[in-house]
Amino acid sequence: MKPSLRVLLWIAIALLGALAVATIALHRGEQINALWLVTAAVCTYAVGYRFYSKYIAAKLLALDAHRATPAERLENGRDFVPTNKWVVFGHHFAAIAGPGPLVGPVLAAQFGYLPGTLWIIVGAVFGGCVQDFVILLFSVRRDGKSLTEMAKEEIGPVGGLVAYGSVISILIILLAVCALIVVNALKQSPWGAFTIAMTIPIALLMGVYLRRLRPGRVLETSAIGFVLVLAAIWGGQWASQTPAVGKYFTLTAPALAIAIIVYGFAASALPVWLLLAPRDYLSTFVKLGTIGLLALGIVAMHPMLHMPALTRFIDGTGPVFAGKLFPFAFITIACGAISGFHSLISSGTTPKLIRRETEIRMVGYGAMLCESLVAIMATVAACVLDPGTYFAINSPAGIAGQLPETAARTISGWGFPVTASGMQALAHSVGEQTLFNRTGGAPAFAVGMAHIFSSSLGGQAVMALWYHFALMFEALFILTVLDAGTRVGRFMIQDALGHVWKPLGRTSWYPSILTTSGLICAAWGYFLWQGVRDPLGGINSLWPLFGIANQLLAAVALCVATTIIIKMHRAKYALVTLAPLAWLVTVTFTASWHKVFDSDPRIGFLAQARQLAAAGGNARLIFNNRLDAVVTGVLIVMVTLILLESARQWLDILSGRKAARVSETPFVVTRLAEEQG
Amino acid sequence: MKFFRTILAALKEIFEESAYERFCSREKVEVSRESYASFVRESSEARNKHLVRCC
Repeated sequence: MKPSLRVLLWIAIALLGALAVATIALHRGEQINALWLVTAAVCTYAVGYRFYSKYIAAKLLALDAHRATPAERLENGRDFVPTNKWVVFGHHFAAIAGPGPLVGPVLAAQFGYLPGTLWIIVGAVFGGCVQDFVILLFSVRRDGKSLTEMAKEEIGPVGGLVAYGSVISILIILLAVCALIVVNALKQSPWGAFTIAMTIPIALLMGVYLRRLRPGRVLETSAIGFVLVLAAIWGGQWASQTPAVGKYFTLTAPALAIAIIVYGFAASALPVWLLLAPRDYLSTFVKLGTIGLLALGIVAMHPMLHMPALTRFIDGTGPVFAGKLFPFAFITIACGAISGFHSLISSGTTPKLIRRETEIRMVGYGAMLCESLVAIMATVAACVLDPGTYFAINSPAGIAGQLPETAARTISGWGFPVTASGMQALAHSVGEQTLFNRTGGAPAFAVGMAHIFSSSLGGQAVMALWYHFALMFEALFILTVLDAGTRVGRFMIQDALGHVWKPLGRTSWYPSILTTSGLICAAWGYFLWQGVRDPLGGINSLWPLFGIANQLLAAVALCVATTIIIKMHRAKYALVTLAPLAWLVTVTFTASWHKVFDSDPRIGFLAQARQLAAAGGNARLIFNNRLDAVVTGVLIVMVTLILLESARQWLDILSGRKAARVSETPFVVTRLAEEQG
Repeated sequence: MKFFRTILAALKEIFEESAYERFCSREKVEVSRESYASFVRESSEARNKHLVRCC
């Protein structure tokens, strides 16, 4: 393309993006089309990728196409394999796309569609994508080292220890909140519970099929598993309509919580091939297909958004979770804009597959843009619902009221009309007994997705099938995070305990496997149980805790990145990572302060404990609130330590008191560059 | 055609089929129950140490 045409094209993209952002930001009182959100996001991502990521690649990181990557230098056909950039991109995206970008934006929709959309777009372009990009490059230049190893080498032993502590604490909270979302989605839902329960024998069958009948044919096996899951969705309808069967799958929240804890323990202790790997394949298959389908659905149906741009709940009185727009919208959206967990993937498998340094920009920055687009789609799914319906689904009984009529009256009183009979009809149309008090984000997302699809594909007649398909899709890959995370947590504990007593570190010694699996399940199981028993629905306390933990891990990753940048004598470009770091520190420290010390009992853990104690409340609930306050405090102390240690390094280097020494592997000229020109 | 080949290659990488093919060529073994069992043993180690799926 001619340079002048290219310039015109980019001006047109930028103008279209600006028009879309202005439309979503300035429209008030009228419904707008979902395509405006998608256009604003896609145009901004295109400009961000073309200009900002290129600036980072050229000026800050100086990506070098002639430098051999570890995949080339250490190629062993096992971990280190030079791989086509599109293949690595797909692999990386499949690994980073999880339930977070679907759930966070749905919860944050209580503020209206505008704050979430703007933060998802801006946060991804200037924060999330930058973090994934720089950490991936720094790991590639260090032979694929992990974030904790890089923290130890670049910041010091304190950095390494704190990074390790942060990862394990964050993992425990993540697993608890994931499990709670599944519990809230499946409680009193025989159809959903049956479908998800069936995925366990389906996975076992896939494991045996792969091992015995068609070794290595994973795609074929996953396709068969997918067909069986579709059959299980049909079967779920039958189960829910057959009282003799349905009663076994109509489970209370505590019963589901126990079942999930037992499942997590089994997935951690059983051989990988039998349960964990086939479920992972199945969930990835469903995930990639459904995300593609949802994108097509939104573009093809281009639904109208019924949620206003801003709701009255920006003042902090929201029923979904308590707290003002700042800082709570930012820690709630979490993964759709920036996720600390991505730094673990960017310093895990992906750096060992990168063929050329210059491809890192597309994989690191580009894959996060796609994840951010998934978050935009989740916002759309939540905002196509009538606000009354959205709040009826997401408000806990402790706030809206136990009875449908009471809840409908309360929600209508907030200015979002809804009727008990309307909600009953909606519940009936999706095959549920009730949709009131289905907190956690997953049911609201499923209703929104079913609403989008049923508007043309099959109509209202198949609304129930779409709803349960969406619910199964979310629960399936949330449980995949749960079982993989439990196993990783078990290994981290075994690693640490191995220093105390060697046999405990042996990963194939069954007493150690059972003990450490029990320990990690007990840890996240405790927080899950706490969420299940919480009269405010659990999400109100656990999701912000998860958001804080996740964003703090991102802060750790950006500390490591900034330290390396300063050591590379690129301090004048350090704002690229320092600005998102400063923002994250401001947001998370403010949110943590509110969660611990706010005088509103719905926000502050200590205030709620005091209120419960004054009313002679349950001692366990009082203890749980104090425990949450301590956990938040410990996370903040750990990140403060790593911040101080990093700042000391920066000052020492910039003032010349310390030599800037990066621990990159030495430069080796690539052979691939010669081969490929 | 190239587009579909790339998509298929990405899917094979995501679903670890390529990893198994590389294992077979590296170890000079045929596709079989035994070689797949060895491959699973080897890949489990990586799966256990790294968070393979994010939140």
